[in-house]
Amino acid sequence: MKWLNINPIVLILINILAPSMYIFVNGSYLQVFLAIFCSALLCLMGQFKKLAYFAILYAAMYGIYLLGFSVEFFRFMSGFFAVLLQFVPCLMLASIVVSKYSSTQLLSALEGIHLPRVLVVATTVTLKYFPTFRREFKYILESMRLRGIAFTWKKPIESFRYFIVPQLFRCAALAEEVTAAGLVKGIDAPVRRTSYFELKFRFTDSLVLCIFAAGIIGGYIWAA
Amino acid sequence: MGSMIKAKDLSFTYEDSDEGIKDVDFEIEAGEVVLITGNSGCGKSTLLRCLNGLIPAVTEGELKGSLNVAGKDAKDLKMHELNMELGSVFQNPRSQFFTDNTTSELVFPMENYGFSKEEMDVKVAQLKKDYMLDDLMDRNIFSLSSGERQMLALACARTMGQRVLLFDEPSANLDYGNAMRLGRLIERMKKQGLTIIVADHRFYYLDGIIDKALFMDNGNLKVFNSEEEFKSSGYNTRSFDIFSIDTGFHNKSLSGERVAGLNGVSYKDIIKDVSLDLHKGEITVIVGNNGAGKTTLAKLFSKSIKPDSGKIDVKELPFFIMQDPDYQLFGTSVFNELTLVKNDPSRIEECLKYLNLYEYKDAHPFELSGGQKQRLQIGMAMLCDKDVIIFDEPTSGLDVSSMERVSGEICRLGEKSAVMVISHDYEFIRNVADRIVYLKDGYIKEDFLLNEENLEKLNNIFHELEKERKDEKTQD
Repeated sequence: MKWLNINPIVLILINILAPSMYIFVNGSYLQVFLAIFCSALLCLMGQFKKLAYFAILYAAMYGIYLLGFSVEFFRFMSGFFAVLLQFVPCLMLASIVVSKYSSTQLLSALEGIHLPRVLVVATTVTLKYFPTFRREFKYILESMRLRGIAFTWKKPIESFRYFIVPQLFRCAALAEEVTAAGLVKGIDAPVRRTSYFELKFRFTDSLVLCIFAAGIIGGYIWAA
Repeated sequence: MGSMIKAKDLSFTYEDSDEGIKDVDFEIEAGEVVLITGNSGCGKSTLLRCLNGLIPAVTEGELKGSLNVAGKDAKDLKMHELNMELGSVFQNPRSQFFTDNTTSELVFPMENYGFSKEEMDVKVAQLKKDYMLDDLMDRNIFSLSSGERQMLALACARTMGQRVLLFDEPSANLDYGNAMRLGRLIERMKKQGLTIIVADHRFYYLDGIIDKALFMDNGNLKVFNSEEEFKSSGYNTRSFDIFSIDTGFHNKSLSGERVAGLNGVSYKDIIKDVSLDLHKGEITVIVGNNGAGKTTLAKLFSKSIKPDSGKIDVKELPFFIMQDPDYQLFGTSVFNELTLVKNDPSRIEECLKYLNLYEYKDAHPFELSGGQKQRLQIGMAMLCDKDVIIFDEPTSGLDVSSMERVSGEICRLGEKSAVMVISHDYEFIRNVADRIVYLKDGYIKEDFLLNEENLEKLNNIFHELEKERKDEKTQD
């Protein structure tokens, strides 16, 4: 079967809208709806590994949340994890946006909804930082091992400092590097960007949005 | 042919450092190949950034004087207008590429300038042909070799039909064969009438094709109007013909204790049945084109990867200095960085003085310049008291005098430890090597002591490395 191909803008839109819906819709309904909706989406896109990963994360958090009611020690964390749980479906969609689409695809998609160029570039650069972070993180862990200052839970703060400080410096340098890379390639050209990769708004995209809207409105009516 | 670029009294001062350029005057004609050179920190990069507009667009500071590009005042040109005329090729893939997919990257400028899909298809087909990119399309940029990345970067810089190309230290990340290939490409583009500006410390790959040399010293510029004039200027230009240098030979008697070894080691398709012993007091240089398995060999010694077969005999983890110091510095200050290696203040002090880093002892490692960071790493290696020390390309991006310095320091390390160096820097190899190991397609093809009678062997290896790249090109 051919996996569903979704315009990234749909995912971004849902991610922006979903959390604010907690104002209008019953919380536990929305939580269940979003979890099912996002899991279904991941299935249709063939992202089973991601889905499994997030299912485990979800279950673990839910476990801690439940534990909080019975064990005194976990009580303070219970509320915290109850809130964190709500983020998981959005995280699922966000992880697809970052991993599945290239920067140029995201740029074109975001331009499609007429956001100002400055905002579009800033968002794209931020989203692209995650894979870079992952790559550089590996290098840093490796060189920590070679230096004999590997991460240890005995000295968590010191260990954490060792790998976070180089990252912060790299982050600052990276911001300038990426800006330069964009600027010498005409990212500031005052014309409407075109896209080499077809990212048309297809029927399936509207369908996904409609199902999402129907779920939200349904929940609103049901709760009323 | 008319004037392409003209600078008059061009000055730039950084907000937070003294480096910069002072009252620079020069003129570049269309169709010329121009070399900008000088030692680290001399202002080459600053000048290049003025040309491609990153100064003043990104870098803050005070810019004075006038700069004309293609007959227009650069001040009146926006970045996107300027970059229709000039294509930039940076030294670092991280600052070169905006995306991580080769096809996305190639069409990225055209998308920004609003080309239609059909126009892009035509242009992409053309670039694919001109720069032999057929096998490189739709791949992850980080999976490309440095030579392939160079080709992609070059193609990207030409997508808008730019007639002027700027290169920032192209040889820093290229092996000898690829650098020579770049030289031939530049020659070809020159024949097509393109204007090429190269800022680099090393320029052996440009021998015979330079029309003008701009020599920077402390922000001041001296213009040489021909290659001959530059060669006879008294500046250290022997870098044009690297094989003519005379460094002498160590002729050490090598009888040090064996401290590490590989025995019949294979790893995937990369390393095939390699046996190699490292001895104390010996500097072994691994040569070979990129992709020959040099770094994999180092990783095997440092136990970053496990071999599929064979035995690795290492008593303790070697001290491994990788290419990019930014990933390897963890201390809160230069002094602290060294205490992480060995907490011995008097030895650290002595070491910092030897490396001319003493005045920076309280600075954060990331505040140092590239060359200073590297010296700090050498300091770490000096203090670590390990039997085996591995360097991966320690001289990429160093000017000749820094390279000579590093050579001296590495030779000192080689007095008591086994040092293994991966390098494609011929001059550096001549300075440090006791022994040469030539790795080709995962096999050790040659392994000999570097002395007067074996010098010919080393030179032949370099000719072979160059030829290998040439053959690759004719295959395409």
